[in-house]
Amino acid sequence: MDEEVLFSQTFNISGRDFANAGTVSVKIKRILKELGVRPEVVYRVSICCYEAEMNIIMYAMLAILDFTITNNEVIINIEDEGPGIADIERALQEGYSTATSEMREMGFGAGLGLPNIKKNSDEFKIESVIAKGTKLNFKIYLN
Amino acid sequence: MNLREVKDILRCKSYSSDNLLEVEIDLCYAADMMSDVLKSCKIGSLLITGLVNPQVIQVSEIMDLKGIIFVSGKEPAIEIIKKAEEKNLPILTTERQMFDACGILYSHGLSGQDTQDKTKNG
Repeated sequence: MDEEVLFSQTFNISGRDFANAGTVSVKIKRILKELGVRPEVVYRVSICCYEAEMNIIMYAMLAILDFTITNNEVIINIEDEGPGIADIERALQEGYSTATSEMREMGFGAGLGLPNIKKNSDEFKIESVIAKGTKLNFKIYLN
Repeated sequence: MNLREVKDILRCKSYSSDNLLEVEIDLCYAADMMSDVLKSCKIGSLLITGLVNPQVIQVSEIMDLKGIIFVSGKEPAIEIIKKAEEKNLPILTTERQMFDACGILYSHGLSGQDTQDKTKNG
């Protein structure tokens, strides 16, 4: 089936902005609900976005999140300016984390974020350059 | 069981309007790490936590949680109460510690697993 874009929006996320943490993901969740997307897909996208958003807020300086929904899938592309991830393979293992105690006090940094995004998405791609930033792309199929 | 019964069982203090306590509770989940909630909590659960910060309210919206119980007598700050109010999310506190709060609710038939679904599916 030809892919047709139904909705698309770009969001800016600032690193260390703990006060607004999660607001982009909540917005995306509301948009998906309004578009009548199946609840299971809504939850999977929201969870992935939330995990990614918290990673940006905890580690990066800033990021751009592109959110697109087509007739087939939800596509999220995130590009951040930040420290990058030294060992992606380890970062994808549950329980591996470089979080500070401040992050843990917020209830995050258990080393579950990236593995949880991978688990909840149908396509997952991550690239990172040390001291430059990380690119994260994931897709969740509507059906 | 509805949230009002949960409130009575754990002798909770409520920070939310009374009508929000009518919500039916089928599932519970307990954790201090929001990472765990995002990974393992069933959608629509009642969350029992010792973590008191605004992130708990945001995670609740993502996971459509039916309510939050803060344990060990921890008082939520005004900003947390306000955020929860905006989202019509009931919040309660209990003097009970996490282990006891969970044990008491479990002994009253609540669980982290969707037992009803299982019986439905035979």
